Amino acid sequence: MIEIQNIGRQFNTRDGTFEALKDVNFAVEDKEFFSIIGPSGCGKTTLLKMVAGLIKPSSGSITVDGQPVVGPGNDRAMVFQHFVLLPWADVLTNVGFGLEMRGLSRKESREAAKPFLDRVGLTRFSEHYPHELSGGMQQRVGLARALAVGPDILLMDEPFGALDAQTRQLMQEDLMRLWDGEQKTVIFVTHSMDEAAYLSDRVLVMDTHPGTVREILDVPLPRPRDESVRRTPVFNELTAHMWHELRGMMGDPTAAAPE
Amino acid sequence: MALEQREGSVPVVAHQTGGAVDGEVGVVDNGTVSIEVAHRWVPWLFRIGSVGLVLLIWELYGRAQETTLFFVPFTGVVSALWELAQTAEFWDAYRQTLIPFVWGWLLALVVGIALGLLIGRFRTFEAITKPYVTFLNALPVSTLVPIAVILLGIGYASRILVVFLFGVIEVTLNTAAGVRYVNRDLVEMGESFNATQWRLFRKVILPASTPGIMAGVRIGTGRAVVGMVVVEILLVAVGMGRLILRYRGRFQSAELFAVVLALILFGIVLQVVARRIERRVSRWKYEMERAT
Repeated sequence: MIEIQNIGRQFNTRDGTFEALKDVNFAVEDKEFFSIIGPSGCGKTTLLKMVAGLIKPSSGSITVDGQPVVGPGNDRAMVFQHFVLLPWADVLTNVGFGLEMRGLSRKESREAAKPFLDRVGLTRFSEHYPHELSGGMQQRVGLARALAVGPDILLMDEPFGALDAQTRQLMQEDLMRLWDGEQKTVIFVTHSMDEAAYLSDRVLVMDTHPGTVREILDVPLPRPRDESVRRTPVFNELTAHMWHELRGMMGDPTAAAPE
Repeated sequence: MALEQREGSVPVVAHQTGGAVDGEVGVVDNGTVSIEVAHRWVPWLFRIGSVGLVLLIWELYGRAQETTLFFVPFTGVVSALWELAQTAEFWDAYRQTLIPFVWGWLLALVVGIALGLLIGRFRTFEAITKPYVTFLNALPVSTLVPIAVILLGIGYASRILVVFLFGVIEVTLNTAAGVRYVNRDLVEMGESFNATQWRLFRKVILPASTPGIMAGVRIGTGRAVVGMVVVEILLVAVGMGRLILRYRGRFQSAELFAVVLALILFGIVLQVVARRIERRVSRWKYEMERAT
């Protein structure tokens, strides 16, 4: 279980202290698919990077299975919005990169990477370079790289945010299938309401300025899910509710005032 | 760019290993992919044409002179070089010039790259070394030549030092810039995989900095060649520098030009070698830029 307790984060700016996150509390269960959604600048990526151990909170604590997070750990792996692949290394080396960072040799990590490359369906591209791949394929490499280190927790920072709509939908379905087989804890940051509802067990809706937890929604859709859940009343109700909440934060005068 | 490609489509960029063909990929009406080959010899044609034109003007201008005392036509220089190349003295001078050059140059590369990596990586180190880097960068290095000679005499040591001083600053600055401008996301990605500082450096920062390092090597090499000649002409009359001074004193312009030409040829060879290495080491960067 991942517990986030009283997290706050302040930045010192020229105009004084800026409060990015304030009193953030929630817990993510084991094997749960947990999404965080919120308007731009609400601090959702910052929060994710705190769980990853890349950013330290100004106050509060994060624990994974009771152990406080003090930095990156072998139990967690991250997938990035802009893929962040090594441009000088081929696909197989990129997939094995996390293992190489943990001390395996180049040869060993490439060997160990093969089944993961296979799992994202890119085996025949193993010796291609990232710039030779489409965005969707690059993110598959990013996903395989994260899976290859065998993490319990997958941290995904708007992983499909840089992809076009069709690719995005395909990637969501593939991720869904992968997750059904893997049963890992996933924290998934997104700004897409459809994506959050389609993939998640629960969705945390964040408020902004400062970033706080507005509400946590259950997604009562049965698993395994496929495309058809997008047309169910539950799905539509859920996304409509999220839109209502998010729209209120965006300062739109035609939207309902926040409670 | 790549992002606009439809998922699962075959990458458009053909895998070019040798880079022998610089082609544009285009789709013709019947749907097959055709490669319009723009051969590599096209730019070479322009290069050779341009050089040929300048040599021709040189030749004609030289022949129009009443005397070869001041200006020698190109063919005169070439034949003088040919004559010189038959003498042991010429090769002796060449060797005398090259030995300290090679040492000073290698030293500049090793020290420059090491310093640059440290400066680029550690803010403290940057702060400590900044005054000296600024000092060396602001100063015409030629002014240090007399001091080097006073301190180290006219032997190899002072010449090695001057070549080193000429070359080292560019290598250092370019390497440091290469390290400093490594994509922050790549570093963060490495950190997220729980990398040790050493592995992060070895596997992410170093390869990501190679374009900067290689630019430093190329520019530094050029500067080192300048240092090599400057020290011999300014103070220590040995090697090629001594030949230059002698032929100038005797108004043997053809020989003077020939020695300069020999040095230019050497400089060109070094530049070509440096560029080759640069292309090889950071090939990914060229291919990436070509793809976008």
